[in-house]
Amino acid sequence: MSVDVLKRDLTGPFLARLAGLWRPFSNLGSARSRVDGSRSLLTAAEFQEELAILGLSGRRFEPEDYSDALGDYLNISIGVHVIPDSWYPELSRRLALSGLLGELRYSEQVNMAAIFVPGSLPPLVLTLTILHELGHLAAGDLLIEPDEEFEEDDQQDEKAKHTTLPLKRGKKLARGNPFAAESLREREANLRASYALFAGCLGDENPYAHDMYDVL
Amino acid sequence: MSAAQHQALVLGSVSFVAFLVFLCFLLTNRRTKFSVFAACNLLFVALMFGAVALVDLSGGRAEIMVAVMTELPIVLIVAWVCLALAGGLPVQLGNLPAEPVARRPWLRTTLGSAPLVLLLSVGLATIVGLIWPSPALRVYAPAPTQFLVLKASIMAPEGLYAGFAALVFVMAARAPRLKRRFYFKNLAFAVGMACIASIALESTVFAGLRVWLGGEGRRAILETLNTLEACLAITCILAFTAGLSLRYTPAVATTLLYRLQTGWLRAQEQFESLEWRAVSSGAADRLTHASDAVVAACRLKDLSESDTQKALATIRLVAVMKDPSGETQHITPGAARKLYELQEEILCDDVLASKISWAAGWRSRAQEPQTVKSAPLHDALKAALDLVDNHGEGEGVRTPPLWHYIVAVSAADAKMIDPSHVSMQLRDGAEHSAAAEAYDAARRSLRKLDDHV
Repeated sequence: MSVDVLKRDLTGPFLARLAGLWRPFSNLGSARSRVDGSRSLLTAAEFQEELAILGLSGRRFEPEDYSDALGDYLNISIGVHVIPDSWYPELSRRLALSGLLGELRYSEQVNMAAIFVPGSLPPLVLTLTILHELGHLAAGDLLIEPDEEFEEDDQQDEKAKHTTLPLKRGKKLARGNPFAAESLREREANLRASYALFAGCLGDENPYAHDMYDVL
Repeated sequence: MSAAQHQALVLGSVSFVAFLVFLCFLLTNRRTKFSVFAACNLLFVALMFGAVALVDLSGGRAEIMVAVMTELPIVLIVAWVCLALAGGLPVQLGNLPAEPVARRPWLRTTLGSAPLVLLLSVGLATIVGLIWPSPALRVYAPAPTQFLVLKASIMAPEGLYAGFAALVFVMAARAPRLKRRFYFKNLAFAVGMACIASIALESTVFAGLRVWLGGEGRRAILETLNTLEACLAITCILAFTAGLSLRYTPAVATTLLYRLQTGWLRAQEQFESLEWRAVSSGAADRLTHASDAVVAACRLKDLSESDTQKALATIRLVAVMKDPSGETQHITPGAARKLYELQEEILCDDVLASKISWAAGWRSRAQEPQTVKSAPLHDALKAALDLVDNHGEGEGVRTPPLWHYIVAVSAADAKMIDPSHVSMQLRDGAEHSAAAEAYDAARRSLRKLDDHV
């Protein structure tokens, strides 16, 4: 995934200087705020809440419906572009060698997100790849300022590993903030994809959807 | 026995019977966290009213304390219900909000504030009562204005929150495509909460009448209101009992779903994506020619598109398993067998097997979606395992389809598997000969095509 950030206007340098002056003070409390801003990975129940917000809870839906509902909620246009690479084996080969199954590009300037996936992917992988990229949009992963000082380390304690970052701007569907660690953002996007696939298939047979009508 | 003791006896008996009913829930599989909480509260209310009925506690500040204590359990139940609807309970108690609340942040905030507001109102009422004691337990005695303030400060927020909760339950019951049982369950809870809201309103009116009403008809009006309160309390308890007794067992268990989400789906995606990478990047060298020949042979024998795809998936799997690269080292016969078993587990569950499907492409609703059974990988896994990792089980029992023979012949020809093993496993029969002929013809035509190019 990648983000085309908003072009800076004339106020940019002034704000950047202010931010530079503020940084030493903000860093004083950074360790504390990091520990405070942590959460666990998304659960299926929490995802059901997101579906309820989109109006898809308890309904059978396709990834297209999820994409449309998410786009409407976030007020952005989401385009999914399936690359017809099976006509061009060399393109398929290059895509496969790159190790990427899909790519998400987001432009804040035009409120538009585009997902690119090779058409030669097996149907299940294609579906999950698209849902994975949509999961990044739902989580607001593209709206954070990546923390350059944050290092992913296996030795870190669980709470530090699950540190989150606040959004710099924009809107997200998820209740929690995105994770600082990229590996966790990817894991959560995978989880969202699998929850979405099952929720869409099961519709009103989804036990998590039942729980929203059975709160006592 | 005074009128106050009589009223306490009635309400105490109702609460005790309700406690016994809820106790029955606790002893069965219909127990929920809420039913445990409600039973504890009902027992507490029954004991409080029982104490008032047995001992004349009227007079002074003790009367106020007892009156507030009898209100507290109902306040706690309303707070719990509101918090449960807002999804604000701790995770262990279930923290999913009601569907109509999840879509309305303002409603969520309002309901979430219930415990704080209600407890503050109880605190305020206690302070008012302790500063200006009033005959709170003597139900028909004239009362000062402070009594109305005491009563209203508890009842107004309680009635408001109970009314909101009733509204949410009605909204939940009206959801489209809702299971019949959930419809009645939410409706029952809506009636229960509406009764609590009505009792709150009735109590406030009752307090007002005690302050301002005089004359001959006063007692009769207050007695009528007391009877109404008892009826509302009984209706409320019956409604909650009905709601809690309606249980719905989902066709798909949460634990199974979790296992499939983290087990089967992840394994199948990993399998298919790694295979795609291996095939697309040309990592499995011997595959290209073999797969072209397999497809051509299937077409020569007029096999269906579905069988051709299964044959293609099988030859790809055999190639990847027999020629593992760095990326495809996870596609092993052991992993394939595990994935196949998970798929079989889904197929054993009729509801799951019929529901789990995925589109054959993006925005391709016209095409038939794939299921665990119809996706080529399921049969391909079995066939590939038979060819690569057959330990003799099931031999001679099963007659493989023609596409299986074509793949076997092709894999043997491409030196992916031992040809003698194929002959032994599949037995030289009519199907095997037909497959071999088709494969040879396909190879010849492909060679001719290559020569022309």
